[in-house]
Amino acid sequence: MKRKQTLLAFASTLAVGVAGFAGSASALDVTIEDIMNDQATVDDVVSNGLGPRGHRYSPLDILNKDNIKNLYPVWSFSFGGEKQRGQESQPLIKDGVMYVTGSYSRMWAIDVASGEELWQYDARLPEGILPCCDVVNRGAAILGDKVFFGTLDAKIVALDAKTGKVIWRKTIGDYEAGYSYTAAPLIVPTETHGPLILTGNSGGEFGIVGAVEARHPDTGELIWKRPTIEGHMGQYKGEDSTMTGTVNESWAGDQWKNGGGAVWLGGTYDPGEKLAYFGTSNPAPWNSHLRPGDNKWTASRIAINPENGEVQWAFQTTPHDGWDYDGVNEFISFDMEKDGETIKAGATADRNGFFYVLDRTNGEFISADPFVQNINWASGIDENGRPIEIPENRPGNPAESADGKKGKSVMAIPSFLGGKNWMPMAYSPDTSNFYIPSNEWAMDIWNEPVTYKKGAAYLGAGFTIKPIFDDYIGSLKAMDPATGEIKWEYKNKAPLWGGVMTTGGGLVFTGTPEGFLKAFDDETGEELWKFQTGTGIVSSPITWEQDGEQYVAIVTGWGGAVPLWGGEVAKVVSYLNQGGSVWVFKVPEGLASK
Amino acid sequence: MGVVALLASSLASARPYDEVVSSGKITVFAYSDYAPYSWIDESGTPTGIDVDIARHFGTALGVDVEFLIRGADENLDDDLRVNVWKGDLIHRKLADVMMHVPFDREVDTRNEFAVLTSPYFQEKMALVVNEQEHSSVETFGRFVTNPIAVEVDTAGDFFLSNAFRGQLQQSIQRGRTFADTQELFISGEVGALLASRAQAEWVAFSASDIESYITQPPMPGIVRTGWPIGIAIKHDSRDLGYALGDVLTELTASGEIQRIAQKYGVKWMPPELE
Repeated sequence: MKRKQTLLAFASTLAVGVAGFAGSASALDVTIEDIMNDQATVDDVVSNGLGPRGHRYSPLDILNKDNIKNLYPVWSFSFGGEKQRGQESQPLIKDGVMYVTGSYSRMWAIDVASGEELWQYDARLPEGILPCCDVVNRGAAILGDKVFFGTLDAKIVALDAKTGKVIWRKTIGDYEAGYSYTAAPLIVPTETHGPLILTGNSGGEFGIVGAVEARHPDTGELIWKRPTIEGHMGQYKGEDSTMTGTVNESWAGDQWKNGGGAVWLGGTYDPGEKLAYFGTSNPAPWNSHLRPGDNKWTASRIAINPENGEVQWAFQTTPHDGWDYDGVNEFISFDMEKDGETIKAGATADRNGFFYVLDRTNGEFISADPFVQNINWASGIDENGRPIEIPENRPGNPAESADGKKGKSVMAIPSFLGGKNWMPMAYSPDTSNFYIPSNEWAMDIWNEPVTYKKGAAYLGAGFTIKPIFDDYIGSLKAMDPATGEIKWEYKNKAPLWGGVMTTGGGLVFTGTPEGFLKAFDDETGEELWKFQTGTGIVSSPITWEQDGEQYVAIVTGWGGAVPLWGGEVAKVVSYLNQGGSVWVFKVPEGLASK
Repeated sequence: MGVVALLASSLASARPYDEVVSSGKITVFAYSDYAPYSWIDESGTPTGIDVDIARHFGTALGVDVEFLIRGADENLDDDLRVNVWKGDLIHRKLADVMMHVPFDREVDTRNEFAVLTSPYFQEKMALVVNEQEHSSVETFGRFVTNPIAVEVDTAGDFFLSNAFRGQLQQSIQRGRTFADTQELFISGEVGALLASRAQAEWVAFSASDIESYITQPPMPGIVRTGWPIGIAIKHDSRDLGYALGDVLTELTASGEIQRIAQKYGVKWMPPELE
């Protein structure tokens, strides 16, 4: 770890921008109210998702459809060294300081006015970690005078926001058993314990069990733990609390013990209902023919009461998943106007290609509409929210290729990387539309007659991802959640892998693997502005106001899961260059009014 | 400093024979938690049949042996990528040689940056049975009603989960690791354990107070019930592969490889090549 205290020295040389900066000389104090009000307060970004509901909406309208053409970079900050790849982080902003995490479990504090580094923290990662899905980190959380983030060896670290020094470090899971951590932690209020810091877990497919854990932000003390798989006992203050579901209700034999259902993406929180929402990944093992039953609560959304870790409700998007439709996608609370009524709704765009609207108070199904084309694993979602499966498009059982020949191939849409993967969508209360970063791709899956696992002959599956259309894979869509209608679509050659943001200025921002940060008209989808950052973008943009000016920032650095897969998709991404930096933009003085 | 250390480690790639010898060290990959072949014992020392064989590599080449003991990924192709030719995502650490690689022409062909060579062992699936619980096991049918242990997500788990259209599902007790699985047998919780033959023999050897036997009931639906085990090296290190192949030939000819296996209660079987 290294630290640089050039902050004050540098500030004195600046002619402008010192006012907002001077605040950082006093003790940083982010309150839980600041976090809950993050969406409305435009001078900071103190939560992942620009507010606990994760709307990724800023009411800021200094930048608008007319003056966006004048948006130019202010500075760029390099993450340095050889560790360039895989930057999926969303920065935080408080009192003129940016807190941003990078791949390989690193974090920086940067002075926004100057672009100068204040401190850097590098986690020491042990040998023997085998993260399944690249070396990414998706962001930090902030509360009081501390910043928190998770590391690839499945630990959560609390750092002094002023110095980058470690205050505490706790283990979420055993990295040697396959656990890892990449999401941004979620901070929520409780009456019993004060604010708590909530994390999920991530890891390989073998033998891990998903769980959400709540810790005290001052000490890291574990308050409660909620496993996601039926049959596992929860914990509350060091004692067993309640079991998740009932043993063997939707699992055969002892398979629930190693059921999967990791919670590898962060959660959201609705201050109205006082519920935390998390998504869970696919079941294990991958071959669905080996595990009869719905396998709850894998590929589900779970609403948890943060006071005690009890499950308020759960909704399974892909029962008995056989396609790796890993349902971790974020659940975004919003008020939906439909048929003259205001519904307390929540929406989630699932990896399985359907956009679900649920009642966020009880998880009841309201509607589901496809947000990608040619979905063929299910013909639709029935009135109870259950998929109407097309049986012949379920991948076969490798055991049936026991004659030693390559088995029947199944082409399923969407691919296992999903109609939407980790990258978060945005919701605009101005247009009442969701802006969904999606991908149009298929997968071929076949039974592989010969493979080996841990030194023994094994029957596995082979699979490859391929585009559906000749000219594009990525597709940014505006969707009306009340009707399921796609209002507009922007097509991108390479698969989209970055988050979306929308603003009161009528803009929708997202980055592309080709390296462009782009801004679109929120009503028409017209591309209004773009800037080439020099490497692929797979992260989520932010915006805030400082000294009367609107800033936009994006982390860049190609990576994530897409380049780890080959096949046809590799052709559209193999030329992309590595990089790892933060870019900050604003409208230069004198151009703002034009 | 950090940058310098990083550069050094990223250059630590798999190397040809001359470089290994002049560096004075060979890095050997073996699987973790994989008794009796390789595991880390309570004192932190790498132990097992593959480890003992690899120590002979060091002696023969006149170099120290560094062990890279890591878990298995989803399949052998992933293991070859991570340990033999590309390295892991974080440290990019590679071994000069990987132990315990099934010797299979198709795997060799589809992994163009790795070379599979020098089979030194024959492996197959087998059952270790507690004689008091089951005096004989003709077929797996008796495990519709009797508990049977297997390590989760292994070849054995795959077979049992599918067997008799899933009728064994209620009886399978899956250990998260091989050590956990073995414990189910040793504690008497289950009367049978399905694993590789050497693992089954090791379990019988370790549970010396249980009267047990090894058997191989028919396993319909399994493509291969036996396969040879060899080593893998990176494609540009073939000369290292030849040198290590000579060591394995010598260990076989001298009977040393049999003595090594016997230490762990395992009967060495010569590789059966097609």
